[in-house]
Amino acid sequence: MSLLVDMMTNTLDGSYADAAARRAGKERLATERGNRVATPSPQRRVLAVVLLLLLGGVTGTASAQVRRGDSAARTARIQLLQDVRDETRNTDDLSRRAQDLRLAVGVLRDTALGAGSAGRLQAERLAELNLVTGGVPVRGPGIVLTLNDAKGATGTPAARGGDVERGRVQDRDLQDVVNGLWAAGAEAISINGLRLTARTAIRSAGEAILVDFRPLSPPYAIRAVGDRNGLQSGFGSGAAGGRLAALASLVHVRYFVMGADDLRLAAAGLPDLRLAQPGSSS
Amino acid sequence: MIPAIALVLGVVLGVFLEPTVPSALQPYLPIAVVAALDAVFGAVRAQLDGIFDDRVFVISFVSNVLVAGLVVFLGDQLGVGGQLSTGVVVVLGIRIFSNAAAIRRHLFRA
Repeated sequence: MSLLVDMMTNTLDGSYADAAARRAGKERLATERGNRVATPSPQRRVLAVVLLLLLGGVTGTASAQVRRGDSAARTARIQLLQDVRDETRNTDDLSRRAQDLRLAVGVLRDTALGAGSAGRLQAERLAELNLVTGGVPVRGPGIVLTLNDAKGATGTPAARGGDVERGRVQDRDLQDVVNGLWAAGAEAISINGLRLTARTAIRSAGEAILVDFRPLSPPYAIRAVGDRNGLQSGFGSGAAGGRLAALASLVHVRYFVMGADDLRLAAAGLPDLRLAQPGSSS
Repeated sequence: MIPAIALVLGVVLGVFLEPTVPSALQPYLPIAVVAALDAVFGAVRAQLDGIFDDRVFVISFVSNVLVAGLVVFLGDQLGVGGQLSTGVVVVLGIRIFSNAAAIRRHLFRA
């Protein structure tokens, strides 16, 4: 206990008292002998000031270092974001280039096939198939169905009381709507500019919905090319339209349907080759 | 007055110049600061008590920093560096606080 008590009570360095006592003794001795009292050396004053300067410097350095640690993490984050953006742009450029090349190939193929009557037949068939498979951009009348989360459904899950599902458009809702549109006679569909094909996946990862493995954010604009009236009535009276209306009234998911005279849908990306690899021509 | 100005000037220099510290010394910077602060508060109190002695201040400043650094270094070697740092900070913190209280009594008579 005595150590703790000592620590709490004798907080001033004992040597100050010792030094004071020593000085008092020296002064007494000096006055007794009639000498002048020795003044403290100025060097030590300077040394004390230098030490304080050093202390300030070290304090500043230490705090600067802590803050630099923070900013290093932030810099890394910004760098990563920049990398992601750069690579996304790179991918976009490459896919645009692939698109152009595909068009050029199509033109060359058409001229090659256009030589004979059998070739022309093949070319027509190819054009039809391309429309269906999303191989070429299409345009035509149709409808635009805009789907959005319920008001107040955005933000973090914590801000919404941990209720992640409620009021948010889910991947299965989008799948349902898209399937309903196909059933209603849509000939080509895109979501937020991404053309859907038979192999396009609509699924969710975390809080985002991925279409063709690209994250989308609401509102979701679903463009469907087809007979306008047929699409509207077919979708509205179909099972998917009924479910969407129910969603809107139950959890206030917002949607509205609009007719359009001239929709332009881009071509879908090239289908991924899963097993095939380029081989040397034999 | 001059010592206080020197202290502030040091902080400003440290923050703006950001001198690079050898990474081996980095963990000891905060401990060194706390130990030196203890010496500074002791010196202020001694000044107010009228028994300040610059020789004692310089020696206590340097030895405080060295001993605190040594204790933490030893702790690091023994694998209890974190705990020993806490101990050093607690003890020096207590001293800083009671010295600050003594200074307050001197200045405000309260």
